[in-house]
Amino acid sequence: MNTVSSPASLDRDLAAIVGASHVSSTAFDINGIVPAVVVHPGSAEEVGAVLRLANERALVVAPAGGLTRQQIGGVPERIDILLSTARLNKIEEYDPGDLTIAVAAGMPFAEMQRRLGEHQQWVPCDAANLERSTIGGLLATGAAGPLKSTFGHMRDFLIGIQFVTTDGKVVKGGGRVVKNVAGYDLMKLLTGSYGSLAVMTRANFKVFPRPRQTRTFICSFHSLEETLQFRTRLFQSPLTPMCMEIISPRAMEYLRNPGPVHDPDDYVPEQPLSLPAEEWQVVLRAAGSDNVLARYARELGTAVTRTLEGVREEQFWRWISHFEQSVLARHQNAMVMYTHLAIQSVGPALQAMERAAPDYNLIPAAVGRAATGNLVLAFLPLSVDPPSAMQYANCVSAFRGMLPPGSSAEVAHCPMEAKHHFDVWGTTPTDVNMMRAVKRAIDPKNILNRGRFIV
Amino acid sequence: MDSSILRQLKKIAGKDAVLDRPEELMLYEYDAGVDKHRPGAVVFAQNTQQVSQIMRLASEKKIPVVPRGAGTGLSGGAIARREAIVLSLARMNKILEIDVPNQRAVVEPGVVNLELSNATVKHGYYYAPDPSSQKACTIGGNVAENSGGPHTLALGVTVNHVTGLEVVLPDGKVIELGGKAQDSTGLDLTGFFVGSEGTMGVVTRITVKLTKLPEHVATLLAIYNTVEDAANTVVAITQSGVTPAALEMLDGWMVRCVEANVHAGYPEDAAAVLLIELEGMREVVEEQAKAVSEVCLQQKAREVRHAKDEKQRQLLWLGRKTAFGSVGRVSPSYYTQDGVIPRTKVPYTLAEIERISKKYNLIIGNVFHAGDGNLHPLILFDSRDPKQTENSRKAAKEIMACCLKFGGSITGEHGVGLEKMGLMTAMFTEDDLEVMVRLRNAFNPESILNPQKMIPDLHFCREITGPLPKARIEPVEGVQA
Repeated sequence: MNTVSSPASLDRDLAAIVGASHVSSTAFDINGIVPAVVVHPGSAEEVGAVLRLANERALVVAPAGGLTRQQIGGVPERIDILLSTARLNKIEEYDPGDLTIAVAAGMPFAEMQRRLGEHQQWVPCDAANLERSTIGGLLATGAAGPLKSTFGHMRDFLIGIQFVTTDGKVVKGGGRVVKNVAGYDLMKLLTGSYGSLAVMTRANFKVFPRPRQTRTFICSFHSLEETLQFRTRLFQSPLTPMCMEIISPRAMEYLRNPGPVHDPDDYVPEQPLSLPAEEWQVVLRAAGSDNVLARYARELGTAVTRTLEGVREEQFWRWISHFEQSVLARHQNAMVMYTHLAIQSVGPALQAMERAAPDYNLIPAAVGRAATGNLVLAFLPLSVDPPSAMQYANCVSAFRGMLPPGSSAEVAHCPMEAKHHFDVWGTTPTDVNMMRAVKRAIDPKNILNRGRFIV
Repeated sequence: MDSSILRQLKKIAGKDAVLDRPEELMLYEYDAGVDKHRPGAVVFAQNTQQVSQIMRLASEKKIPVVPRGAGTGLSGGAIARREAIVLSLARMNKILEIDVPNQRAVVEPGVVNLELSNATVKHGYYYAPDPSSQKACTIGGNVAENSGGPHTLALGVTVNHVTGLEVVLPDGKVIELGGKAQDSTGLDLTGFFVGSEGTMGVVTRITVKLTKLPEHVATLLAIYNTVEDAANTVVAITQSGVTPAALEMLDGWMVRCVEANVHAGYPEDAAAVLLIELEGMREVVEEQAKAVSEVCLQQKAREVRHAKDEKQRQLLWLGRKTAFGSVGRVSPSYYTQDGVIPRTKVPYTLAEIERISKKYNLIIGNVFHAGDGNLHPLILFDSRDPKQTENSRKAAKEIMACCLKFGGSITGEHGVGLEKMGLMTAMFTEDDLEVMVRLRNAFNPESILNPQKMIPDLHFCREITGPLPKARIEPVEGVQA
């Protein structure tokens, strides 16, 4: 592990900006790199002063929120300053009547959601770890959960943004109203930019009325083919479920209360491996009155094997959101990928996963958005014969090679040693040179998250 | 326009694809807004390769290029100056692919918005964004302006329905952004590009989402004796938990204007009407229609009518969609505004508009997307009367100031273009605009494409960009921050 101690002069200069009590050190590492110093600015202007100082001295800055998604991405060359948004944690304005809210970027998402809940409203995002994850961190990583199927992800309800550029400018895009085309759409640009363009300090959202009643229908099938046929029938039906997840046979293992952990990499299924888990599932969540939910039950008919409501339903969806976390809790050497697929590429991608994994001593499991092609794929190492770093790299390359054109798949998590053998981001249909030109335009010295993101 | 340039354009696009005679150019000197300028030449590209060659030529010779679709824009985005070339994409009008299993269509930029829905409806799908000009406007133009429409309240505006773009950069290079997948690894340049008003690149191919036709639609007309009651209903519906597919408002003056033209069945003595549409599963729509009717009646609607069949529904919408045209019958000139306010401020803002109308002694009609808080006050004036023309500009300025006072926006869907450029500094700081210019320059470093639109020419522009191409656009008369 590389540790760098910051020069005392840097600490002093940072303390002059934010106050000595807001400059500290940390043992937290990002892919093995420990930041030299942690700074907690208390305002956008202080963020600006820190960035200006870093920019002048060409110091590498990693913006940070709740530290839940920092390990996603390439191994950083070095991190001079971890810039924490923790002190930027206020709700700045909330107008329940107008269904809009303005929050500082360092506020934990769940805190905002609780406040909205008082008015039966929400920002429809059900990514993992919402108690710790901050608004800024979720936006920066473009995080989403099953609700993405109907509501889209954060970029689709982000109506305004404030961020600080590396030259210290406090900049805004959009505004406080739900429809607005004045100026470029900086909200779209910053969402999913992994802190590589600027440091977000405030976000304005349009919020939604929260459904009062939901029900979940679990439908089981013997093969992927049957599962996809069922999905096609759903697309053709009048049903408009709020969530539509596809779950691979092995993934069910991770959608329940975790049992005792023997060894992080020990694969101990509740059912012995000799009884192969073969059932694929499509899980639908519908919102509406009794009458509406009855219609779902009628239309789905005998395809439904289980129905969930109330507390058990909530728990089940939390497990789906936390699939990746529960995999990693049990297998620290598991590999997790996120896919971006056209609707009809979901089947081929799942087949590619099932074919690629066993060749490299990995067991495949998948959960994801059947209607949007955003899957979370887990590759679980066999404890008896753990894969080498190269095997991860080869598995990724074999998997990506089988994906239909226009797909992209990034590796969100894998053993650090493996990251040196391949590009975690992979190829993408969007012109990468153009992305780099945008990065250079806004962070010419490449001080933000150097080496982490695709740009 | 220099004759050697014209020769080269003809060589690229064909003899019949270049216009340069004054009587031909006259047709390209305006859009649906207020500004007017005659371009140096018009060239019609037929494919991506021609667009690329035209852009390379323009870049080499430093000639500004203004891309243009159907010219239905309202903010001057497609208007060019004398030294500039208008690059029309209207002949690139093929639907390249309808991919029902992936719920996508791939189209050329010149495809007319409504034609795409007409082509996909037999598969049970349609293209959701529906600007009022959808019978004429092109999807390429919609991408440039990030167009809205009445039905974007629940389903989102153009940017929510575009997943892929092929773009020609000013130097002629062709790049891809996104594709058929909902999103892709890396920066969301597709989302960033939509709404860039032709200042970043020329779109030559667009992949859009197709939306499943709803099982059931309910269309309601709520009739009011006061504007205030109608405005309060908008607030109450927003808070009720129902998101209608569309929630439109017309004031009494507009109602009478529309009735005189198309007989949509709106009651002529109403002070205001709300046109409300609900879409989705039958059970959901029936429940929501009941709930919305109750809200309307609680807010003192005099009557709530339900369209009984598709014919009645189309008639109600005909009134809304022909509103602008109907105004043209009664007034020699009108000036369409496009302000946005928080929805809770609709009642207050309408009262303000009423006050402004009296102050300048001008009729101001209101027809707008109430559910989004996106106002379209129409200021009527006689352009032959300089005093009235002057007053209409002043009234417009006051309305915009009122929107900004509430943290609103100077444009919800028509774009900044030429018309609103002077107002950008009222909404954004120099730092905000400077960052936008830097980002634009990543795509369009020499401002060859649509120069001096959208972002006003502040001192930093020259510092970052260097000398601009020759075409200088004078400040828009009367509209200033």
